[in-house]
Amino acid sequence: MSPAFGRGAMTNHMIDLKNTNVALIMGSNIAENHPIGMKWLTEGRLDPKRQTKIIHVDPRFTRTSAVSDLYCPMRSGTDIAFLGGMINYILENDLYHKEYVLNYTNISYIIKDEYGFEDGLFSGYDESKRTYDFGSWGYQYDADGKIMTDETLQHPRCVYQLLKKHFSRYDVDTVCRITGSPKNKYLQVLDIFCSTGEPNKTGTICYAMGITQHTVGSQNVKAFTIVQLLLGNMGRPGGGINALRGENNVQGATDMALLFHIIPGYISSPTNTEDNKDLISFIRKITPGAAKLPFNNLNEFREIVKQGIPYSGWKVHSSKWVVSLLKAWYGEAANASNDFAYHYLPKRDASKNYSHIALFEAMYRGEIEGLFVNGTNPVVGGPNANKEQEALTKLKWMVNIDLWRTETADFWTYPGWDRAVDNPNVNTYAPTNIGTEVFFLPAAAVYEKEGTAAQTGRWVQFRWKGADPVGESKADLWIYDELGKRLKQLYAGSNRPEDEPILNMTWEYEGHAGEEEPDILKVAHELCGFHIADGTPVEGFAQLKDDGSTACGNWIYCGGTTLKDGKFIYKPQLREKDDPSGLGLFPNWGWAWPVNRRVIYNRCSVQPDGVTPWPGDEDRRLVWWDAEAGGWTGWDVPDFIKSVGPDNPAFKDPFIMRPEGKACIFAADGSLIDGPLPEHYEPWESPVPPVLNKQSLNPVAKVWEPDKKGTSDKYPIIATTYRVCEHWQSGSLTRNLPWLAELMPDMLIELSEELAKEKGIKNGREVIISTTRGDIKAIACVTKRFKPFVLGDDIVHQIGLLWQFGFKGYAKGDIANRLTPHIGDANTMCPEYKAWLCDIRRA
Amino acid sequence: MKVTRRQFLKVTGATAASFAVINLGFDTQATAASIKELRIKNVTPVPTVCPYCASGCGLVVYAERQEGKETQLLSVQGDPDNPINEGCACPKGAAMFNLREIYDPHTGEQVINPKREKKPLYRAPYSTKWEEKDWEWMLQTIAERVKETRDNSFIHSENGMIVNRTEKIASIGGSGLDNEECYLLAKLMRSLGVVYLETQARI
Amino acid sequence: MAYLTNLYDSSRCTACRGCQVACKNWNQLPAVIEPFRGNYQTHEDTNADTFTIVKMIETEDPVDGVIWNFLKYQCMHCFDPACLKVCPRDAYTKTSWGATVHDPDKCIGCQYCTYACPFEIPKYRKREDITTKCTLCADRVEEGLQPACAATCAPGALMFGNRNELLQYAEDRVKHLRANGFPRATIYGKMELGGLNKLYVLTDTPDKFGLPVDPKVPGQIPFWKDWVQPYIGWLIPLALAGSATSFVTTRILANKHGKHDEGGHE
Repeated sequence: MSPAFGRGAMTNHMIDLKNTNVALIMGSNIAENHPIGMKWLTEGRLDPKRQTKIIHVDPRFTRTSAVSDLYCPMRSGTDIAFLGGMINYILENDLYHKEYVLNYTNISYIIKDEYGFEDGLFSGYDESKRTYDFGSWGYQYDADGKIMTDETLQHPRCVYQLLKKHFSRYDVDTVCRITGSPKNKYLQVLDIFCSTGEPNKTGTICYAMGITQHTVGSQNVKAFTIVQLLLGNMGRPGGGINALRGENNVQGATDMALLFHIIPGYISSPTNTEDNKDLISFIRKITPGAAKLPFNNLNEFREIVKQGIPYSGWKVHSSKWVVSLLKAWYGEAANASNDFAYHYLPKRDASKNYSHIALFEAMYRGEIEGLFVNGTNPVVGGPNANKEQEALTKLKWMVNIDLWRTETADFWTYPGWDRAVDNPNVNTYAPTNIGTEVFFLPAAAVYEKEGTAAQTGRWVQFRWKGADPVGESKADLWIYDELGKRLKQLYAGSNRPEDEPILNMTWEYEGHAGEEEPDILKVAHELCGFHIADGTPVEGFAQLKDDGSTACGNWIYCGGTTLKDGKFIYKPQLREKDDPSGLGLFPNWGWAWPVNRRVIYNRCSVQPDGVTPWPGDEDRRLVWWDAEAGGWTGWDVPDFIKSVGPDNPAFKDPFIMRPEGKACIFAADGSLIDGPLPEHYEPWESPVPPVLNKQSLNPVAKVWEPDKKGTSDKYPIIATTYRVCEHWQSGSLTRNLPWLAELMPDMLIELSEELAKEKGIKNGREVIISTTRGDIKAIACVTKRFKPFVLGDDIVHQIGLLWQFGFKGYAKGDIANRLTPHIGDANTMCPEYKAWLCDIRRA
Repeated sequence: MKVTRRQFLKVTGATAASFAVINLGFDTQATAASIKELRIKNVTPVPTVCPYCASGCGLVVYAERQEGKETQLLSVQGDPDNPINEGCACPKGAAMFNLREIYDPHTGEQVINPKREKKPLYRAPYSTKWEEKDWEWMLQTIAERVKETRDNSFIHSENGMIVNRTEKIASIGGSGLDNEECYLLAKLMRSLGVVYLETQARI
Repeated sequence: MAYLTNLYDSSRCTACRGCQVACKNWNQLPAVIEPFRGNYQTHEDTNADTFTIVKMIETEDPVDGVIWNFLKYQCMHCFDPACLKVCPRDAYTKTSWGATVHDPDKCIGCQYCTYACPFEIPKYRKREDITTKCTLCADRVEEGLQPACAATCAPGALMFGNRNELLQYAEDRVKHLRANGFPRATIYGKMELGGLNKLYVLTDTPDKFGLPVDPKVPGQIPFWKDWVQPYIGWLIPLALAGSATSFVTTRILANKHGKHDEGGHE
């Protein structure tokens, strides 16, 4: 989403689902995996003003389908074909929201003449490197450096015309031949969802891992952004693209940058290249539009910023975020004379990838010695789990922090590494030949400690402690605090420059006298930022400075703390239930980043004049320009610069995190490395040849294990993995709970009655599922809810597996991820769990 | 026995809020003496947020917490004050009690979930068993391992540029942690020079 | 006094089974882990430690395609409860607001109630030699709280309140459903057995949800009642002596249901 809107987060929030006219649930099983979403969708359904219609698009009929108004099947891995057809339908039938698209997106922008697309390849492809040179994917600029546009949308190189041409190939018949969707159902989906292009209606899209866990995951999301922009559904109540996050604080963990490619606040992590060599080079690199500007130091840079940098957006302030982060981490050791200790930050090798799959590939090669496992379970949840489990044997040491001994903690005990079937591709081990030293640290459960979590809609809420930890288990905060203190002690006295980051790292979180636990509010104070002179909280990121006078651990959390009558307030603790708009914003319940905005890009909820609601949509206005007061105001915190009024050209630029100020239908300049527009490619393992173009696989996806690719002659059945309502993720937090083990006690495979008949498989009996990566056993759930797909003259079967079982807990079963491949999305490296090939037989 | 409507249980913690009750419109009157007394009566609920999916539903913990005695849970259920879920909970949220305690299937008695680990555990290389260790030894040994690996693998500079990284230590996970914990983990790992830093967002 | 009732609207239920767990959580019931037999439903019926289940029934229609019906199943709190009538120890009482509650301290585990119940709801708990069933969370309701199942229901398929008001909702909802693709939508519990203190809005006929279309108290009940009451004096020591009666009635019940087919969807 970031290439289109500037941020990657869920745009609206859970309660907002009640405000929608149509909900398209695609790549999500909301009723099972985000059950509370159904509360709000049901509310919308019963509300005569909304009469919400629910559409579910999914390879299988789930509990979400059961309560939807319309269910449309679709073969796993064909989302872009499905959505491309929708884009084509919108353009062919002129269903797009014209006023919205013209003003708030880059649809009228002119693209370079060199840009092209042929045979499934965009211009600039280098086959030997499997990469694109995206020099030709940019805008055309006029003599003044302004992007050229054509508001009539007639210019052959404008985004509208290129879009129309690109998706003209996605006609309904071609789409259905690829997706296997029944044509009548597909047409109904198009008709109902595209009706939200009318200005008085909004439609929302809810998605989850069904969309992202593909070799084209990012482009699947990109296709959503195009649909939602054309229909004018972004930044409005009941609209948006709602990425339903799967883990209670995966949003927060991402915000805190527990990812190799970023540092806190979604800033690219520095690399070992010349353009990252010092602070000023780094700032040049991360500030849009700064590349060629004349400055050599922060003083000169500040002067330029004061005058304004064209096409920079809000990220023009990046220098303030970085310097404040360095001040938060290294205190007095970070100052103007030493580049604010920028050199302390690790610089990753720009030529390497450090993402999950790459990490385990490196571990498998013996390149990693020590591993921290913080409440995660890759032996069950990682792709190609046989390989990932084997990789753990090559470690020297592993620290595992969890409530219970998960399959990962106990990876070395798995008796003899038994397999359902002898598979020569899979190595076996015994504990006596595994040299990994394992440290297991028992952690406190969620209500045995305190802290905050950012839910999927970016609302940060506080959790109080309701019970003492079991036995000697400890809060993770205490564990990290202790480790930090001990490492500082071990390095004490060193005068090696490489040890300075540890020695000078600020680490003062002592709790109150007599308390063993660190003081969580001290962490909050640093995280949300403070003025160094007097220690008072920074009230919002506009107050951050790049001169060393402010410290802030994460700029997007600025404003999460404040002083009220001299008392320190951590806003996630707020529990006021006022909702004056009736739109479910609850501005004083917890706190939302950024600066308590509940719906991001909310400038779009009013017409370009900044005041008038969209025709017929008076009650869904979120913010508006108050001419009298000379500022933006409204029910929500405006996602806009407060003082930018009608006299400012940026008044109609609602996407402040994008350099253009507009949302990008066409992702210029390589913000997505596999193309400026989505194109359907088959999954890595696919049973059918490409229809739309000459490429089978996404031409940029990195292939790690070419020898492990299963082909359809041996493995003709499509498989996908997923979760059920009763278990969560790898199951370690649910299979150990008797009440949930009771509801879903065994590993199961779901298959159609047709396939079961063909293979002689009986309901409730064991089945063996085989791939090139391994084999597992599961119990058959033969069901009418799975149906074979008819693709032209071909019939292909699809099965489904729960990936939530393992060899520990009250509910046990084989690990589905022993079958999934080590291949991921070209941009994010998110593994392709959702579409791969297998064969099955009766056990 | 005449039972009158109660003035309701107050959510305290750091905030004041009311416990949602249904408006019956009249007094209920118990006719059966066998009806148990409400076991959460006069117990202060402590608000928390569900640790499963990221919807952010609120839950409240009712527990008997006495000085010097192990906490015993009374109930963990949906937080009626939380606007996201208004007291609702799916099966996972409704099962939160089991994260800590369970009812024994043979005796029906309430016990600590036997799957929970109560002590730090250590597995030596090539060993076939876990050994209980104390926290002091564990944390100190881990810190020493980190230092040893870091010092042996550290790349301070490369092509004349300070790069301060180690590629031999990795950290995964964290999406189940609180923000403050994630923040400290990120700060500690980055300061150690760790670049193999990943969370579940990727998978 | 008007009755307080649970209403279950099958058109809103997602079968998440939050109610099933919330019931265990509130009523302090252990898990009963049975192997997976080919249906998500897991338990075919309620049991002594599982007061409520959600039935999940797949069917297929040539026009509508696959249909997955869900039904929350538990004690119906009949207006005129057979369990109450047959209980030799008067362990059952009806509260003024409509719950049929069972006193475990009086129960001797004879299971006449199970046999008498048109829905076979009371179940025998061996470890205490008693029968158990849904209490409509009488302890919560009498303190102004909703039953645990209704309080936890995310899509609002379960509602709790005044029976007359809920009946009005049910009438309106059925009308709406009939006009919107569910021509056979109906109310259940309004008239059955003279009225149940559990109401259902069903998107199809009751048999499509595994409910008896015309539930009846087994014919032998009057006989049992007449037979049992005079001999209650010697029956009780017999029951206490070793649950001989439990053994007998369990056998009777087992014969009554000699129809367990293998796995499969209902």
